[in-house]
Amino acid sequence: MDTILAAQVLLADGGSSEGGLFALALPFVVGPAVFGAIYGGIYRYYRNKDKRFGFERETDIQVGNLQAFDHHVGDKNRQRSATMSGANQDDPLQRVGRLEVR
Amino acid sequence: MQQPPAPTQQAPSAPGAQPPPPAPAEQIQDAIDEATSGDRVIDTDRGKSHGLDKCPRCGSSDVHYRIESRALVCDYCRNEWNEDNAEKAFHLDTPIQELRGDHVASGAQDVQAGDSMVTIKCQGCGAEIVVKSDETLQARCHWCRQVLSINHQIPNGAVPDAVLPFTLTREQAVEQIKKFVDSRRTFANRTFVKEFVPDNVKGVYMPYMVVDGNLHTDLRGTGEITTRTYTVQRRVGKDQTVSERYWDASVHELGRSFDVLVNDLTAGSSRQYDRTDSSAATNYILDAVQPYDTREALVFNPNYLSRFTSERRDLDIDDLDERVEDKFLTIAREKARPTIAQYDRGVRWEREGVAIRGTRWITMYVPVWLYSYYQQTSKGSYVHYIAVNGRTGKTMGSVPVSHPRIFSLACAGGAVATAAAAVVGWGVFLTQGF
Ligand SMILES: [Zn+2]
Ligand SMILES: [Zn+2]
Repeated sequence: MDTILAAQVLLADGGSSEGGLFALALPFVVGPAVFGAIYGGIYRYYRNKDKRFGFERETDIQVGNLQAFDHHVGDKNRQRSATMSGANQDDPLQRVGRLEVR
Repeated sequence: MQQPPAPTQQAPSAPGAQPPPPAPAEQIQDAIDEATSGDRVIDTDRGKSHGLDKCPRCGSSDVHYRIESRALVCDYCRNEWNEDNAEKAFHLDTPIQELRGDHVASGAQDVQAGDSMVTIKCQGCGAEIVVKSDETLQARCHWCRQVLSINHQIPNGAVPDAVLPFTLTREQAVEQIKKFVDSRRTFANRTFVKEFVPDNVKGVYMPYMVVDGNLHTDLRGTGEITTRTYTVQRRVGKDQTVSERYWDASVHELGRSFDVLVNDLTAGSSRQYDRTDSSAATNYILDAVQPYDTREALVFNPNYLSRFTSERRDLDIDDLDERVEDKFLTIAREKARPTIAQYDRGVRWEREGVAIRGTRWITMYVPVWLYSYYQQTSKGSYVHYIAVNGRTGKTMGSVPVSHPRIFSLACAGGAVATAAAAVVGWGVFLTQGF
């Protein structure tokens, strides 16, 4: 997994400068990345450690009485990424600070 | 007119109505229990005494559950019948939005440590038979050979409120397990491949808590919306530029608060098979074969367990409620997703909370066909499960791997990729230059 990450970082950086030198490093990045992907893929297919019951989607749940607020608090210009930092809307299993609700 | 304070909590009676009859001692005790623990008990006991649990047609005690018939079958007269639907029988289908406080079925109350021996007086011949209730809920009378059952609830975790009987046959389960392993042979551990016998599958009833929740949730966070996307040319050398992409965003603080009604959320309630503990066995496998159609569960009767094994519940509501609260929060976060679609750069939830207005807890046995493989390792043995949902046939498992085999393929793949990348890289290097 680390190798894939390293490859992504290097590939992302490679676009900006030192294109020629990066090209020489390519095999040393792609090789381990492919090794890691094959190893991880097969292991996952056999052991299924990543599998769980998606209760938050599959349980019978009703929602209602929505109250929402959205306040514009500022702007962030010249961001380098298409997604904000720390976005966690797709990770409902991750717990964040607790709020007292009555 | 002044009335004396009522001994039990009752709705105020209409003026001029008869004063309520004095409550029997048992009701007063219930009211005291309710006041001290805050729980309201849903009585799910069938109210039968221990002993014979006979066929309603011929009176034989030789009764078992037959999957093909999806019914209890009398071995003597072949009569077939089922217990009632648990949800209806226990009135668990009242609207969840009306739930206030904690309602706990009598089979979901705390497991009591201590003597598990139950003495049953045989109604056939009068003999007294001792049953080890944590191992089995049925025994044969030594004298008249009739089957004696634990017919009302004992607080040892072995008697649930409801049972979801098997509908998938053993043959269907073996077929599923075979198929699962057949597509995973190449890189499987060699000893496993030699020792794998799919017929060694066991029908097991696993204990689950099934929870309804009437909740209100509140989430706070920060979200960003893209306002502009543009490309800037940046000079990097004397006559070289690179283009860089930038995003402008508007930042918003947001809050979402809404009611959530959760119907039949499940929580495994056996320590040994706890999903979060995979140190000795691949417990996550059992979690992954859910869901079960819990609405179809029947009133518990020990005859459903004969010829199957069952795992005793040893986790109480107190052990599970934190975990269930976490699940409620996860549900809240998931359900908030459609309300934040405008935040295309994402939302960072920072605070979350849930107010639990009411809950309802019952215990249920759910059916699993379970294949267990004990892999011998340097540290002892590790259990790999292949589980088949006894209702739906959904199958998940863990097959021990042969690391040398995966290693060789991954090496070969890595080598090919290295070579290909070298060719490409060299080409790029030559065209881009120094
Ligand atoms: Zn009969
Ligand atoms: Zn007897």
